[in-house]
Amino acid sequence: MTTTNAPLARRTRVLGKRPWTELSLIVLMLAAAAPIAWMLILAFLPNRAIVSSSWTFPFWLGNFDEIFDSTFAIQIVNSIQVVAGTVILCLVIGSISGYAIAKLRPPRWFLLPCLMVAGFIPLIPPATLVPGFYLVLGDLGINGTLLGLILLNTFFNLPFAMLLLASYFEAVPEELREASLVDGAGEIRTFLSIMLPVIRPGLASVGVFVAIMAWNEFLMALTMTSGGEASPITVGIAGLLQPYQVTWGQMAAAGTIAAIPIILLAVFANRQIVAGLTAGAVKG
Amino acid sequence: MQQAAASASRKGRNVTLQTRTPGSPVVAERAPRRLNGGLRWGRVLPLLPFFVFAVAFGAYPAIQLVQMAFSHVTLANGAFTFEWVGALNLVDILENPAAWQAIGNTLIFVAGSTIGSLVLGTVLALLVDRSLVVFPVARNVFVWPAVIAPVVVSLIWLLILSPTAGGLNKVLGSFGVEGQQWINNPAEAMSAIIILDIWHWSPVVFLFIYTALKAIDPSLLEAARIDGSTEGQVLRYVTLPLLGPAIGAVIIIRVIMGVKAFDEMYLLTGGGPNGATTLVSLFIKNEFFDALNFGSASTYSLLIITLTALVLGIFLFARSRLENRP
Repeated sequence: MTTTNAPLARRTRVLGKRPWTELSLIVLMLAAAAPIAWMLILAFLPNRAIVSSSWTFPFWLGNFDEIFDSTFAIQIVNSIQVVAGTVILCLVIGSISGYAIAKLRPPRWFLLPCLMVAGFIPLIPPATLVPGFYLVLGDLGINGTLLGLILLNTFFNLPFAMLLLASYFEAVPEELREASLVDGAGEIRTFLSIMLPVIRPGLASVGVFVAIMAWNEFLMALTMTSGGEASPITVGIAGLLQPYQVTWGQMAAAGTIAAIPIILLAVFANRQIVAGLTAGAVKG
Repeated sequence: MQQAAASASRKGRNVTLQTRTPGSPVVAERAPRRLNGGLRWGRVLPLLPFFVFAVAFGAYPAIQLVQMAFSHVTLANGAFTFEWVGALNLVDILENPAAWQAIGNTLIFVAGSTIGSLVLGTVLALLVDRSLVVFPVARNVFVWPAVIAPVVVSLIWLLILSPTAGGLNKVLGSFGVEGQQWINNPAEAMSAIIILDIWHWSPVVFLFIYTALKAIDPSLLEAARIDGSTEGQVLRYVTLPLLGPAIGAVIIIRVIMGVKAFDEMYLLTGGGPNGATTLVSLFIKNEFFDALNFGSASTYSLLIITLTALVLGIFLFARSRLENRP
């Protein structure tokens, strides 16, 4: 491959060299986005246009009117509460524990079991713990409550939050912490007003990613709540989704409401999500 | 196995760290004595909340699970009572053909979705890496499927694959092709959830491989080209071998995700037709909450955890032997 110092000339030349790469990427992008686009289109169509074999697209907002009864609104509020609770718990506990791992040198007899557990939790299929969770939440008296869901979501996301935040704390130079301590700030003050602000990008990544995971969570919501007004939105959508039901437009509308905020996040907070996905994929 | 898992997640962290702070200097190792901000229990206390969480929601349910697995469990007046029965639950579950069918289905599903997403995700990464024009958009778009709720993903694919109103049959109909049954036919239903899973999770493979590609020293590729290798040879003998560790890590991740899969087939196919797409997660949920066989559901859970640990252990062992080969 020849190299030249004129970037523009090189760019156009290589562009001409790789039309197939760009073209296949465009086709693959369409393939990735088409199923989502199909749902968005159906959300604005009446059922008769969806089931008819001809291609007509009469714009219609009725689907949203029909799904937006009180139950659906309550489920959205429930989901927001679960997301908020999970994100707050993961950020608070995750940053304190992550800081401890990265900077405070916990004794090995305590650190190693914690790391092993943090590595092991993402490996367990959640469904296998459902029977156990059911009993634990029952013992705590919070079976079927949003608090129970918040605690379970936190359990699944905390190892990821803690380890990712620890990696951000590790990248902070030790001198910064020592300077703060020498200047007379206590350990807690150093953590709150020096270290936390420095790792804001890490907090953003963890926050965005945990929020998505909690908003999307379904298995725990399905098995630990009684449905209806006690459930988050994923269970509500699943209720609409029956193979022989004919309310296609309403299903698409509900899916759109659940997916749009997440896709907007994916577009505008892509960096944070990528950081979360690569670090947290084991958690899946 | 735990250590392996910890090291896998540590690998993941390092990858992120490299991409985010490429030029950050390694902090020089300082003297072992550090300043202590005056907290007497400062070294144990901050980790305690995590530990409490892990024990309350990890260890305690696990103990309950083991207890239930070896007991005859009955639910009376909202409380569970346990009666020790030894391995009777295990015998029950091993004699249940549906339990074996779920394991077989899961093997097919894991193999299909892992291989499919690995190939597609790697191709995406290589293309985006080669691209000079559309790559910023592509990098963004290829993340979308992975962030949408699995519930919504199932819904999207039902809107596409439904035999009565799905978009695919509608497209086929426009070309005069007879509509297919798709999710109502066992083999097609399994293919459908595998394709859905590949669409949903190839982005994760893409991100991992792409990050690993970016970490490859370009001078290695240049050297191969200067020595006269074609682009195909560079890919085959330089790039892919250098991606080996990342591909290995991604395989582990995707296998784990496959074993955990629940939402897709629960919503798209309901595990049917005739249990053809009932994966182990759904089998556990059905046994516990619908059939109310608490004991055998727990035994089955333990069995799945053990099998997964065993398979992962063998894979990690083989991988470490392969990597340490002279």
